[in-house]
Amino acid sequence: MKKTLLLWAIFAGLMCLLPLFASSGTLRVFIFANFLAIFAMSWDILSGYTGYISFGHPFLIGIAGYTTAMLTRHLGTPLFLSMPLAVLVTMAGGTLFFFPALRTRGTYFALVTLAFMEVTYGLMQVVKPSLTGGTRGLSGLPLLVTGAIPNYYLSFFVMFLIALGLWALTRSGLGTALSAIRMDEDAVKSAGLSTSKLKLFAFMLSALVAGIGGALYTHYLGSISPRGMFDINFLFTILIAALIGGEQSIVGPILGAYFLTFLLEYLRPYIPGAWRFLLYGVIALVVYYYAPKGLYSIFQAGANRFGKKTRRNGQYGQTT
Amino acid sequence: MAKLLDVQSFTKKFGGLFAVYDLSFHVDEGESLGLIGPNGSGKTTTFNMIMRELKQDEGEIYFEGKEISRYSTHERVKMGISRTYQIPRPFREMSVTKNIRVGIMPDEIIRIISMNSQSDTEREIGKSVGFKEHALAMYPRELSMGDLRRLELARALATNPKLLLLDEVFAGLTVREISELSELLKKKRKEGLTFIIVSHDLKTLAPLVDRVVVVNFGQLIADGSFEDVIANKKVKEAYLGK
Amino acid sequence: MIGIIIQGFLLSGLYALIAVGFTMIFSVGRVLNLAYGVYIMLGGYVYYVLAQVLSLPKIPSFLGAVLAGVAFGISTYLFLVRRLEDNPIAVEISTLILAVVMQAVIILVFSPAPRSMWPLVPGVIHLFGVTISKNIFLAMIVSWLVLGALLVFVHKTQLGRAIRAVSMDTKGSLISGIDSSKINIVTWALSGALGAIAGVFFATYTQLDPAMWVFPLIIAVAVVIVGGIGSIMGSLVAAHIVGFLETITTGVIAPELRGVFTLLLIIVILIIVPKGLLGREEI
Repeated sequence: MKKTLLLWAIFAGLMCLLPLFASSGTLRVFIFANFLAIFAMSWDILSGYTGYISFGHPFLIGIAGYTTAMLTRHLGTPLFLSMPLAVLVTMAGGTLFFFPALRTRGTYFALVTLAFMEVTYGLMQVVKPSLTGGTRGLSGLPLLVTGAIPNYYLSFFVMFLIALGLWALTRSGLGTALSAIRMDEDAVKSAGLSTSKLKLFAFMLSALVAGIGGALYTHYLGSISPRGMFDINFLFTILIAALIGGEQSIVGPILGAYFLTFLLEYLRPYIPGAWRFLLYGVIALVVYYYAPKGLYSIFQAGANRFGKKTRRNGQYGQTT
Repeated sequence: MAKLLDVQSFTKKFGGLFAVYDLSFHVDEGESLGLIGPNGSGKTTTFNMIMRELKQDEGEIYFEGKEISRYSTHERVKMGISRTYQIPRPFREMSVTKNIRVGIMPDEIIRIISMNSQSDTEREIGKSVGFKEHALAMYPRELSMGDLRRLELARALATNPKLLLLDEVFAGLTVREISELSELLKKKRKEGLTFIIVSHDLKTLAPLVDRVVVVNFGQLIADGSFEDVIANKKVKEAYLGK
Repeated sequence: MIGIIIQGFLLSGLYALIAVGFTMIFSVGRVLNLAYGVYIMLGGYVYYVLAQVLSLPKIPSFLGAVLAGVAFGISTYLFLVRRLEDNPIAVEISTLILAVVMQAVIILVFSPAPRSMWPLVPGVIHLFGVTISKNIFLAMIVSWLVLGALLVFVHKTQLGRAIRAVSMDTKGSLISGIDSSKINIVTWALSGALGAIAGVFFATYTQLDPAMWVFPLIIAVAVVIVGGIGSIMGSLVAAHIVGFLETITTGVIAPELRGVFTLLLIIVILIIVPKGLLGREEI
């Protein structure tokens, strides 16, 4: 336990020092990676753990974004009010629409969330454009902080706190219970646990994180549009980040988010638009096939081997 | 003696076939009841209905005097009924102790989160069913059938049941494993646990039960002591044919 | 009013075809094939290439499209799903990834812009005083014929009955000696074919678009949830409910609200009758 806390501290320390070395361009890439990490973690706590694959996270993130955008734009609501409200609306709305499906089976849930996302995409473009900004969305929204460095620290700290919080929760009995649902939901029921209650809790956590991420992201970009929020590509990016990084681990999605973001940045000059998604997809399929536990498992395996080596050096012939 | 479980007129139809028809029986507190019958006679379906993994088409079920039809599976487990499965269903990616821990977990989120993760309770339960210290960290894929059944039992016992349903718990075990498991069940019986045991192995079953209920084609055909039931003509016909 | 009823029937026929192709895999293989919409997309695009770009006659183009669907269906099963069969979550995710990959491929080959497709049969007919396009009318006829043929296949032929057996009870059918691998291949091939046929008509009804694989999935979802799994009849009835709901919404209320009432219906059904109106399985 102590070793892991140390690792977290080192990670935080290194990241805090980053602005000394990196250009503001690089920092902006990190900012995006941090947000993607938040979204990927929010996906993981629900779908990675319980196995109820959600294709509706863009929907949740979008509700948060649009709520705070509309409140600040049309009612002039100050950010310290609009953002928490946005999070609450996300949690309430998400539960209202997704809980009926969550109560049943994973496959139904996956399908319903996909349907929701798609319909919302269409809806947001046409319904009440005066409020939602229609196809183009809303822009010129108030920013929370300005400048690359402040935004970097903000996005990192929020991501870090969320990571710590979720990580601590999943190390407790909650993580065991949720991952048991993924393995055999009926057996969990016969162990005397209400899986509906557990799934609902995981969902609310997930919606909470997604809401926070969505609200913050909107006030980092200063704008929001259906294209960016509700489309398949956004969903895809979040999913791939969580999968490549390693489901059911909280740390994995962070790794995946960073990996994917930097891959995107590196490839941008060489590979035009549509090829990128083709590449992501192929990479995702390959990783999923051969290392289904993602980068995190590769990372852990390496750490284990490192641990064994140092232990062997310490005690004669004894390996654990 | 108080009736712990009272099943009345259970009926379950699948398509055109009656899996269980007008089945009634009861178990008294502290009793050990055998549930036997040829293959496909509806024993597992009955267990499924008692645990609400299936809903009965007709009939009532009373536990500790209360009618419990409207309660879901996990609620019935909380009331005190637990079961093991014919084919063990361990959580494949969890160690033995973690598997048992799921059984121990209370059904309250806050308590689940604040649960002490290194408690000794699960290790004690594991040892009480016969797991050796080193085996507690093993994973289901490394366990023999005997150990898997032990794990099922441990997880069921972890829920602190008053009534335990055992579904073919001796199937696929070696002679030694059978005798170890029998001893364990005898011990639990002495501690006051109520059982319903389904088993094909009548020889092993005999010393473990006070009474036997026999079903065939989903219907009750005999209810009495082991000796009486074995001698019953209808029972012999059911197993051996006319 | 009559217009709505007729339109409703026409659309429902097509929806039924889409839904049945999807639920087949679900009932038989117990896995979710999120790449199903791709068969529809392929059906449309392949027909487009053969009939409009290469100017081949209609029937061979149609058959070409169906063949593409069958080929893709079987390939998805053999190369992707079969290895992941005992992990349904992995199948869900990897078929979705496959769908997005195929979307990218279509964008690369055809450009992201939507295209209009010529109707298979141009012109209109007049029925009960209502003008309807011959194309959509043909779509409905073909859908019913195909579904009828499917019903006969599934109830009267041995292979078809084997498929039904597997969909009712996988373990039991394995014990009876049915070769599940062969059944799966046939089912995925059929699913691909049905999807492709639906796709050709669907593309003429709306337009060709690299993202067109999502909407049919939603229709299939709605039909599965409303009708329940386990019977083709259930899917047919549910397809009509959904089809009429959509027709009424777009015709009478507002076209922009197209999917909304369908979604609401889904939620309502999930709350009240999670098993679906005619479903066979316990949830």
